[in-house]
This record gives sequence, structure tokens and C-alpha cells, in this order.
Amino acid sequence: MNRLSKKLSENILDKFSMDFLRNQVLKNAYGNDDTIIAGLDPRILLAWYLFFGLVPWFVNDIPFLMGCFLLVMVTTLLARVAGLVLFLFALGVFTQTGYLFLATLLFGGDASAVAPLLILTLKVATISLASVTVFSGLDPDKLSNGLMWYGCPERLSFSISYAYRMLPMLMEEFQNVLLSYRLRGNPPAHKTLGGKIKYLIYQVKIIMQSFYPLMLNTAKRSRTTVEALELRGYRYAAVNQSVKKIKLAALKVSCNDGIFLAVSLLVVAVSVLISTLL
Amino acid sequence: MNAVEIDGLTYTYPGAAQPTLRNISLQIEQGDFLAVVGNNGCGKSTLCKVLNGLIPHFITGEMEGKAVVGGLDTRKSEVAVLARKVGYVYQDFENQIVRPTVLDDASYSCLNYAFPDYLDRGRDALELCGLKGREEDYVWQLSGGQTHLLALAGAVSLQPDILILDEPIAQLDPMHADRIYEVLRNLNENHGKTIVVIEHHTEYIADYCKHVLLMKDGRVRWMLPTDEALQRVGELEECNIFPPQVTQAAYALRERGALPVDIPLPTTVEGGRAAFANLAYVPPASQYTDPAPGETTVSFRDVSLAYRSVKGEPRTVFEGLDLDIHKGERIALIGSNGAGKSTLMKLMVGLLKPNAGTVSLLGEAIGEKRAEDLSRQISLVYQNPEEMFIKDSIRGDIAYAMEVRGIPDWQMRTDALLSRFRLTELQNRDGRLLSGGQMRRASLAIGIALDPEVLLLDEPTANLDIATRREIMAVLTDMKDIVQTVVIATHDMQLVCQWADRIVVLQDGKVVADGPRDQVFSDRKTTQQVGIRPPEIFTMARALDERALCYTIEEFLDRFQEG
Repeated sequence: MNRLSKKLSENILDKFSMDFLRNQVLKNAYGNDDTIIAGLDPRILLAWYLFFGLVPWFVNDIPFLMGCFLLVMVTTLLARVAGLVLFLFALGVFTQTGYLFLATLLFGGDASAVAPLLILTLKVATISLASVTVFSGLDPDKLSNGLMWYGCPERLSFSISYAYRMLPMLMEEFQNVLLSYRLRGNPPAHKTLGGKIKYLIYQVKIIMQSFYPLMLNTAKRSRTTVEALELRGYRYAAVNQSVKKIKLAALKVSCNDGIFLAVSLLVVAVSVLISTLL
Repeated sequence: MNAVEIDGLTYTYPGAAQPTLRNISLQIEQGDFLAVVGNNGCGKSTLCKVLNGLIPHFITGEMEGKAVVGGLDTRKSEVAVLARKVGYVYQDFENQIVRPTVLDDASYSCLNYAFPDYLDRGRDALELCGLKGREEDYVWQLSGGQTHLLALAGAVSLQPDILILDEPIAQLDPMHADRIYEVLRNLNENHGKTIVVIEHHTEYIADYCKHVLLMKDGRVRWMLPTDEALQRVGELEECNIFPPQVTQAAYALRERGALPVDIPLPTTVEGGRAAFANLAYVPPASQYTDPAPGETTVSFRDVSLAYRSVKGEPRTVFEGLDLDIHKGERIALIGSNGAGKSTLMKLMVGLLKPNAGTVSLLGEAIGEKRAEDLSRQISLVYQNPEEMFIKDSIRGDIAYAMEVRGIPDWQMRTDALLSRFRLTELQNRDGRLLSGGQMRRASLAIGIALDPEVLLLDEPTANLDIATRREIMAVLTDMKDIVQTVVIATHDMQLVCQWADRIVVLQDGKVVADGPRDQVFSDRKTTQQVGIRPPEIFTMARALDERALCYTIEEFLDRFQEG
């Protein structure tokens, strides 16, 4: 009991430090480049995503949805997605549908509400997990190359990979600014419940105030980056078609891609079969 | 053929009243290794940006005269074309890296300029820059020195004839600095590249550069062969450039009449050996004795710490570390990049918690302390002062910690601190917009606002030119009466020798040497193993006489007299 209360009294910033966040973001983007999913061709994966990201919206058949759900669950596991993302996923699904179920029970509904809610939950879950598989299983560069192949503008794909390159730096900067507040600030005492609430408000306020120095510091840094991009031919490449060709030449469909598509197709077929048999 | 020909160049930044470059004419030979020196704000960086065409194509403004680089008129050629002639590495090189993996970044320019063999070119550049084998690594796994080499590889990959580097070693420890310069020398001698460095470490200029260009107030004062250039001690010092310590010592000796006027001043330790041959060592009269250490302020007991890493096992920084810091000590914490210096400091202020063991401050474990008490007892000044500016004026920043604690007279105390650090005039400016030296002074004022018992400074002299560094050293010496115990993490051995009374050497998270400067620096085995480079004058003195331990030019002049 004592330990539990001690655990609870540790504040969000300690548990959920920027260090942890940064680590999770990096892990998510680059920490799993040796998985089966990461080895697939991004074009295949994007096409696959188009199916599992759209079709479930229009189907209400439970066995089919269940089949899709199980499949994307397996792919998510294969992609070795970072813990934080899975947590956000669970939280997201709950806020989408879970609370509806509670509300139904609270206002006199009964278990019959489960079936329709289950359908909705399965849809949301399938689509989210499919997104998680694609967007966090692939590293940002492969993803942006895939998007470029489908005709997305080069600037978009550069932005994706550049954002991932910048994120760790931004977060480090943010962490340091927050630390400045922590070292020099004077947080309210947080032994009592009232104090704890005050402390939480204080922390949220500090996080908001940190954005001002963060933005200015980042702006100062980006001056060099902009000049360097110019020197390194970024603008030159954006209008040059042969650059695009060279980039896309690296994409290759392999045997694994075939197996991946075949297994997905099989699962879908089996679930359709089951639903017609039932 | 000359690599660079500039004729009558005058340039004014948009909106500026005065031109930054005034009527510059110069030629740089193909295959030269040129150091550009000069005061802060004398136009060194601006000149280099003219060479790669950023001026006038990207940064507009008024440009008169002509610059021809590799046979191309910069005004008539595009930046993209010039970029293949001139490679540029910025002072804040980490912002120049835009791709997540090493090979990706090294080959990025080649890809953009549509070379089908871009990956091979990237690999070749990495090999030239000594990063072979790191191709698949992510850029944040690299140390500072390696990141700089990567920025260099990115520039080299386009196979330019000219490479320009803006203060390449400002943030690096001596070992990494040597590596950068060795790479540059190889590119210069074996690959025929023309190298231009903006540099104020004259020891490196003496060792590596062929010519020196002195700029003052936007004009070229002279361009001379290195040996000749470093002789002009008076003119250099006027521009806040300090020649190698050996040269400075010889200059002082010559002034005294102890060295003949007609022979050139030595610029390296080797040269000094011959020039100082007739000097004899006079041992000091009394040996300095250590005062007994005061009471323990900070103690590390069996401290272990590991970081989470993106992939694989957590990285262990410390394992079973024991260390005591006593009241009144001035400690220098030294060791190569990544030895754990910053981490040690973060443990002391409670920003990091050890996985095992305890860190205690004034007899109480840091984990048990209230944050409020802690910040009154110990204070940390970051390496990057920008991150300490959380308000929109430095007055606000200095006052912040006192204000939120409701310290009586905080207004008056802020005024006092502002005037003590000569910031009163600047008090309403945003800290980020100040010059390097002003930013450091402001961050020191913020650091001591709460009158801490212990002050921790992370690299207080990094990225500063020598004049500003001297200024900060004076401020640190001046602070002796305010803060009792000070710990500095640094690569700056002159600072270490002049200021510290105890030196702690870290290597791979272990204390490998600990003691006063004589003990640490005279131990050749440790200094070599850890890669500590004593100040040049120390090496010089020992080269003349094994017993001599001189840390400053003054000590050298006292200890060595005409025999």
C-alpha cells in the first residue's frame, strides 16, 4: 500500500519525462528496421494499407472484421511497435467507443448494446492498427519514397523524413528548457491533494511557457539548416525529374512482399468464407 | 591557376548602414591551406559566404567588385553550380545534417545533383573523412567530432576543389580536433584540395596551415606564409588573436633581451627546442603544499547509471563510481567527449537519478531533498546558454528564480548582479540576441542568482574566441569570493591550468586520475591514455627540462633564464 501511494505520488513529468518520449519516438521511427514489416516494399505496404484502412469502414460483418482485426494485430506485433504508440492506440480506442458502452450501461442500457459497439470498436481498432503497422513499421524514408512513387510531391516526402530527423533535436531542446524551469522555478508544495492539483496546473503552465524559448532557439538553429539545404542542392533536386528516378530505383518488390500479400488475402478470404457459412 | 580571385569586393548586408567587407582583393592559390583570422565581426564568415555564392544569390544585399572561384564568376553562376566547386562546413555543423543515417547524409548532395553513383560517392567521402564502417549508423549515435566529420563528408562528396570550414574545432576535445585536421591535411596534400579554415587556435594554424590571412574591420590586413604571419605578435594581439604560447613566450623573451632580435620566433614546440636551447631551468624556491580538504559537500557512493538506448542494451555510463567534492575546492572535470562529464553534473543537481548508489549533497541524499532547497544549494550552468534563457529579457531571466521564491530585495539583487557582470546596459535584450561572451556572462549571473553553495559549469569557454575566453576566465576568477565550491567540465586546458586546484579525469565513466595539476599533468601515462593535451607551454617546458612544470607563459618566463 505504501509503495502504491508512493508510486502514485510520483508526478507525470517524472514518469513521462521528455527523455522517455524522445526515446519512444526514435524507437518508433528507427528502432525496428530489422523486422519483417520494415523489410517490405513501401508501395506494397501502402496498397495493403489502402485496403485495411478503408474497407472496414463499409463492412458490418463481425467475422470479416474479426478476421481483419486479427491480421492487423499480428502485423502490429511483427512490426514491433513501441510501447507508447500501443498505449495511445488503446487510449484512442477507449475514448472512441469504450466510454459509449459505459454510458449505455449507466443510462439503463443492457448487454445488447455490446454487439453494435463491438462492430464499431473492431472497425476503429482494425484501421488504427493498420495505420500503426504502416506508419511506424516502416522507417520514415521508406515511407516517403513509397508516397513519392504514388505521385506525392517531393516536398511532402522530404518533410516527413526531415521532421523525424528534427524531432529528437527539438525534444532535446524542449527537455533542456523544461529543466531550466525545474532548476530555477519554485513549484507549489504537493503533499496534499489540493497541492497536487496545483502542482499539476503549475506543470502544464510551465510546459506552455516553454514553447516560447523553444521556438526562438529552433528558429535560430534553422538559419543554418536553410542555407545548408540550399548548398546541398535541395531546391535543385525538387525540380529535377532524374533525381526522383534515382531515388525510386532503390525500391524493389521481393519474395517476402508476395508472401505477405498472399497471407493477407488468405485471411480475408477465410473470414469472408466463415461469414457466409454462418 | 588560382583557386580564388577576389577583386575590389565590397559587400553590405541588407539593411546594414556600414559595409561588412570593404574593398577586398586577394588570391588564393590552388592547393593552399589557408587560415583566416580576425576579430569577431571582422567579416570572416561573410567572406566565406561570398566564395560559395550564398552571397549574393541567397543572402541579398549590395555587392560590388568581383569574385572568381574555380574559374567561375560567383555572380554569374548559380549556387548549385558553385556548390560543386566549394564545399562549406558551418560552425554549428550539426544543423547542416538533414538526413537520419550517416551514408544517407553523406550522399545527400550527390543525390540532389542527380549523380547515379551517389551512394558510391558518399561512401568514398566517408572513407576520406575516416567514417568508414559507420555508414548505417544514425546521426544521433555519433559523437560531436564524428558529426563534424560527417558534415565534412557531406561537403567532400561533391568533390569540390575548395573546402571552407568555419571554426572546425571550437566544440571538440583535442583528440577529435587532431583527427579533423589530419583529415584536412590528407585532403590537402594527397587530393589537391584547397582548404580555407576560419580558426583562432593558433597552435593548429602553426601545425597545419600554409598561409594566414588577417582581416580587420572588413579589410584584408595581410596574407602571409604561416611562419612569417605568426611572428607578427603585436599586430595579431591587436586583433585579439593570440599566437601559439611558444611564440608568445619567445616574443616576451626577446623584449627582455634574452633572445636575439634577428632570428625568427619559434611557432611550434620543435622550433622552440632550438630557439630556447641556451635557457636554463631554475627550480622554484618553495614547493606548494596542499591545504587539508574542507568538509565534504557532494559525495558519490557506488553510483551506477545507464541510459535507455533506441536499440539493444541500455548504455552504461557509470558503474560503482565513488567521488567526494569538498568545500572550497575548484575542480576541473576533464575527459574526452562522452566520458560522462555532463552526466555527472546532471546527477549532482538531481536531473538524473542513479540506478544504484547515492549522490548526496551537504550530507543529505539528493533524491530526498525538496527541489526548492536543492536549487538554493547547487546550480548548473549549461553548455549552451540559449537553453537557460526562458524569459524575454536577461533581466527577467536573472530575476526569475529570486522572484518566484519571493526573496526580499530581489529587485536590488538583480541590479547588483547585472552590474557585477556588466550587463546593465543590455538588461532588456533577449539573451539569444547577445554575443557569445555576453551570453556566457548572463548565464553565469543566472547561475549564481540564488547564492548556491556549489556551482557547476558545463564547458563555460566552448565556442568562444580567445579574447572572450580570457574575459570569461577573468569573471570566473573574480567569482571566487561569491561561490565557495565550483566544478567546471571542460576541454580547455588553459582554463584548467590557470583556474583549478583539483583536476578529476574521467574516462568511460571512471575516475582515472584525481589530484592537483602537477600530479595529473606530469603523469605521462594517464595523459596519453586519456588523450589530455596540456597547454603548449607546459609541453615546451618539459621538452627543455623534464622537471619543469609550467602552466602559464609567466611561469615559463620565471623558470627559464639565460644560462
